[in-house]
Amino acid sequence: MANVSFQNLKAQYGKNVIFDNFSLEVKSGEIMCLVGPSGCGKTTLVRSLLGLTKPETGRIAIGDKVLFDAEKRINVPVEKRNIGIVFQDYAVWPHMTVIENVSYPLKKRKVKKEEIQNRAMRALEQVRMTQYANHLPSQLSGGQQQRVAIARALVVGAEVVVMDEPITNLDAKLREEMLIEIRMIQKNLGATILYITHDQQSALELCDRMAVMESDGKLCQVGTDEEIITNPINRFTFEFIGNSNAIPLVVENGNTYLDLDEKIPYEDGKGKDLHNKELLVRLNDVVFDKNSKIIATVTSRIFLGSEYNYFLNLGGKEIRLQQSMLNAKNDGTVDVGEKVGISFINPHFYDKKIIKEAL
Amino acid sequence: MADYIVLRNVTKKFNTKTLGDIVAVDNFNINVHEGECFSFLGPSGCGKSTTLRMIAGFEDLTEGEIELCGKLVSSSKKKLYVPPEDRGLGMVFQAFAVWPHMNVYENVAFPLRIKKMNKTDIDKKVMEALKHTSLTGLEKTFPGDLSGGQQQRIALARAIVTNPKVMLLDEPLSNLDPKLRESMRFEIKALQKKFNFTIIFVTHDQSEAMAISDRMMVCDMGKIMQIDTPENLYNKPVNRFVHNFLGESTFINVVVKDNKVYPKGNTNQAIKIAIPSDASNEMVVATRPNEIEISKNDTDGYKTHIESRTFLTDRIEYLVSVGNQLVKVQTPHRIKFDKNEECYIKFVSPMWYPADDEKEAMERAKRQVI
Amino acid sequence: MFSVNNNAMAAIDGKKRFSMDKLLTIVCFFMLFVVVIVPIFMIIFNAFFDKNGFSLNLITEQFADKKNLDAMFNTIKIAIFATIFGTIVGVFYAWLLGRSDIPAKGVMRALFNIPYMFPPFLGAMAWELLLNDRSGYLNRFFMDVLKLEKPPLNINSIWGIVFVEVSYYFPFVFMQVVSALERMDPTLEECARIAGAKQSTVIAKITLPLVKPAISAGALLILISSLAHFGVPSILGFRQEIYTLPTRIYAVIYNSGGSFEGIRQGAALSVMLVGVVAIALFIQNRILSAGNYDIIKGKSMRPTLIKLRAAKLPLLFLSIFTLFIIVIVPLGMIILISFVKAYGLPLVPENFSFINYQKVFANKGTIDSIRNSLILSVSAGIISMFLGTLVAYVVQKIKPKGSAVLEITSMLPYSIPGTVLSIGVILAWSGAIFGITLYNTLWIILVAYIARYLSFSMKTSSASLMQVSSSLEEASRACGASHSESLADITLPLIRPAMVSGFFLIFLPAMREVTTSILLYGPYTRTLGVHIYSLRDAGYIPQAAALAVVAIGLIMLLNVIVTQLTKDRKGV
Repeated sequence: MANVSFQNLKAQYGKNVIFDNFSLEVKSGEIMCLVGPSGCGKTTLVRSLLGLTKPETGRIAIGDKVLFDAEKRINVPVEKRNIGIVFQDYAVWPHMTVIENVSYPLKKRKVKKEEIQNRAMRALEQVRMTQYANHLPSQLSGGQQQRVAIARALVVGAEVVVMDEPITNLDAKLREEMLIEIRMIQKNLGATILYITHDQQSALELCDRMAVMESDGKLCQVGTDEEIITNPINRFTFEFIGNSNAIPLVVENGNTYLDLDEKIPYEDGKGKDLHNKELLVRLNDVVFDKNSKIIATVTSRIFLGSEYNYFLNLGGKEIRLQQSMLNAKNDGTVDVGEKVGISFINPHFYDKKIIKEAL
Repeated sequence: MADYIVLRNVTKKFNTKTLGDIVAVDNFNINVHEGECFSFLGPSGCGKSTTLRMIAGFEDLTEGEIELCGKLVSSSKKKLYVPPEDRGLGMVFQAFAVWPHMNVYENVAFPLRIKKMNKTDIDKKVMEALKHTSLTGLEKTFPGDLSGGQQQRIALARAIVTNPKVMLLDEPLSNLDPKLRESMRFEIKALQKKFNFTIIFVTHDQSEAMAISDRMMVCDMGKIMQIDTPENLYNKPVNRFVHNFLGESTFINVVVKDNKVYPKGNTNQAIKIAIPSDASNEMVVATRPNEIEISKNDTDGYKTHIESRTFLTDRIEYLVSVGNQLVKVQTPHRIKFDKNEECYIKFVSPMWYPADDEKEAMERAKRQVI
Repeated sequence: MFSVNNNAMAAIDGKKRFSMDKLLTIVCFFMLFVVVIVPIFMIIFNAFFDKNGFSLNLITEQFADKKNLDAMFNTIKIAIFATIFGTIVGVFYAWLLGRSDIPAKGVMRALFNIPYMFPPFLGAMAWELLLNDRSGYLNRFFMDVLKLEKPPLNINSIWGIVFVEVSYYFPFVFMQVVSALERMDPTLEECARIAGAKQSTVIAKITLPLVKPAISAGALLILISSLAHFGVPSILGFRQEIYTLPTRIYAVIYNSGGSFEGIRQGAALSVMLVGVVAIALFIQNRILSAGNYDIIKGKSMRPTLIKLRAAKLPLLFLSIFTLFIIVIVPLGMIILISFVKAYGLPLVPENFSFINYQKVFANKGTIDSIRNSLILSVSAGIISMFLGTLVAYVVQKIKPKGSAVLEITSMLPYSIPGTVLSIGVILAWSGAIFGITLYNTLWIILVAYIARYLSFSMKTSSASLMQVSSSLEEASRACGASHSESLADITLPLIRPAMVSGFFLIFLPAMREVTTSILLYGPYTRTLGVHIYSLRDAGYIPQAAALAVVAIGLIMLLNVIVTQLTKDRKGV
């Protein structure tokens, strides 16, 4: 079994605590995407797993093999951990040909010569790079170099592969292709993949499960893509996943109001305790609704191809609304200056953001 | 509206040692109206930057002529070539190109100093340009200490300070991060409103071009494909290339038989869409993933099932099969189907194009080598 | 699959074994201490301390001597003018070749780099033969043709020295500026055109200010090289008693017959020279800190070349003429003289023979000097290459406490004149430390070479190491390689091209070195440079020329080999 478990890890640089009491369980054979804003400690976490950084406390294990245990004073050196790694900058050795790069881990593990050739070629086949076996990395594109890095990470049959922002340096088209490729390779090999990124979009596309980290290194939600999207556990996750509008609420005399320049009754809020909460709603969950009593004025409309982006003025607050091309074609567009009713589908209610500086 | 910038039969050939003559710009005819924001959109190597550089006066023309504000500035026949400094343009480059050895104020004042304007006028104009680009207070700062967005603002301020009639923007937002890129679009539009200049905007990013332009030109491999408003280009692209370049596209290979449309290679179920009169036997039907209606019970649609589903930040992406082909469908998060669930899909406003053209694909591959 | 053995698990923190990193750091500190710190300390010690302790007597004595003050002013005068003219010439040709549409750029660029390889003191020799005030061939020619009574030009003067130094030092500026111009983002200039500036205004207001850092970096190189230069002023100046500080130091020690008192006096003069260099460095630093910026952003685009139009032909002729004067004339002169039977005979075919070459090679000292120079430059090259790379690795990758000290120490000899360094080495290794005496052996020259050239290899290795991302080594650790294996398999092969070019950067100048070895050579340890110098000094001018031709041929040959070897197919 190759489940990866982090238990109560703490890491710090000098006095700066990166994360504390961090625990995460990656199931054997799954693609776990670890997402979080840059600087949240994701990279420190993978470096701890690889053995490049030593945590202060806690325990890291793969299956029943302990790699690090602060209490038992175990710290297996990097080269003995047997974890495949793919870096953001590829880290393909420029002085070795593709096949030499991929053979290197086998050589270091004293695999027989004739077997090295076979296994290296098989790994290259996996990433469709066999025809480039004798090329030097400088003759390859970024995407091809990243494929070599993946083949090198997979060639020894490591059960755990860590990918640290492996596609960030590639252009949009190539990113898409690489994600599909990573998925296919994982299917064929059944390796456990821990995929680190700050890009929610690619994480959502790739993952079996994802773990969302907050900027202070706290793990705030672990779950499948569906769980995270339909049931964000807190405001951070909700806002991290995509753009949204936030409208403050207030309850007076048992009625809920949108707390703007004027108080606009919010009838959908009946029967919920929404005092001093905020209503958060995604841009494409704000829809035009002739029957709604919430009236806004269109201040601008921008055509973006797949959708129209509207800026509305609702009681002095700017609200963004996205109308898909399909709806625009079916229901028509709204012109600048028009007053329209809007309603909110799938609203989420969270506590008002406390601005830290104010404290 | 008067035609403000006119390109007549403009052609540019480059002579290369290895590949001989390459036609970078092939017989371009463009009329840009006064006060318009006009974009050149296309993949790299399509000729858009070369065209802009010819308008600016950095490249001469192999053939044709260019008129700016009613004045002929380049003409291959008359051997006329007005140097860039005498064309009275404003220009902003992708790499900012602010002078690192001058502070913000000096950068912006440079064009005025060249004109030998007196000090008080310079000061007034510079301060006004800085105000409109939100740089007030940074006069004494050197560009090296500023962020990319601020540097690009200096470039903008420097371009508007002489009050030019024509502003050339060469991928001015490509080096900025996505958030800033979006807000700078608005700033550019606001500056245009305030200073009343005509914009030519070069970009390879279709959503940027659509958001900012009144009209745009899509070009590819040195040829103009289509010139129109963003809406028309998006909704009525003249060919597959334009369709694909302007947004996510779904192409279905179909055969037309007995006045019915079937996905190629599978005649079990017809797709219920109107057939254009000039359709040949084999065609390609094109649409956008978010312009396909998907429902659980609208039996009028094409019956199929969900092959796979991916959650994305602002939508769910489904793959459904149409015959033997997979079609991408996008919906908001609130419209949710499970994997393998039965569903009906309907194409709202499909476009028709001739079936795959192998010759074009080869030509494109050849150009990629260049 | 997981064969983690118990030994590996036992690598428990806290009981860290003595790591390789630590060992490398200590070796580094020790070597630099011995090679750099000790000689410098010895100079200071000897200049300021005598038997009775601290005293300024020696220094004040030197300042009281008018000859020394004259030498100091000459040094400064020559350095300033060489820097000004060298910079002007360098910038002018850099712009011409980098930005204009002048034809035959490739050939001209290659030729402009020749003075860089050509030992300046050989150039001085050639010009002396042509333009000395008594029997210079060119002077006699002018006198005959123009019916002059006095020779029109005199190379044995301050201006002669400036002229020869300029012709060999301007490539410092030329190379720096040409590469800066080529990497400069062309839109910076295009913007100014759009803003309404004419081409000439753009050059003055945008282009030149932007390459100012490159210009001043090159100018500093000229300034320091000229301040420390021995060859040219000694060949052109001695006869007219024009001294500079380096030649004065040599003369003082030479006249004292190498006695300790003479060397101490030299040490005191060295302090003067170092003072002058330090002031120059300080001024340059003040000028440079005004602005240092990155001008190589943006997509690579071919800069628009400026059409010279009518000025094209005159400028082309000017360039060819310049090349003729600084490359062809001295080289041709040396070759011609090397064939002439006796110095002073007219340069006509009847007077030519191979006799000088035969004589030179019959002389045992010649073979010895070539052998000595080869041994010295190869071993100095190899040792400095490894030591420099080691320092670079420690500074760049291990980053121990005090790595800044390491870096500064290794760069220090770069700005210390070779003459000064030699005196330090003499003082240190003539029995002063542990009674070790290396004087009159090859070893002492070797130690001086290592100290002098260490920074060359340290710089190239350092630049190359900076480009080796740490993830490359980490990836190999994750692939199962230990730290030392990663070093051997990944890092070293990656910086090998830089190490090799570092070696040749040391090897080539060491082959033709005079400044340092002239003070350190013993009866059996003459180097090639010293041998040519003393042949000429003793009046065997045609023989000296013959050996010079051999030396130049050797250097050119080695240079070709270098360019072939460093053409590495694998880039980092």
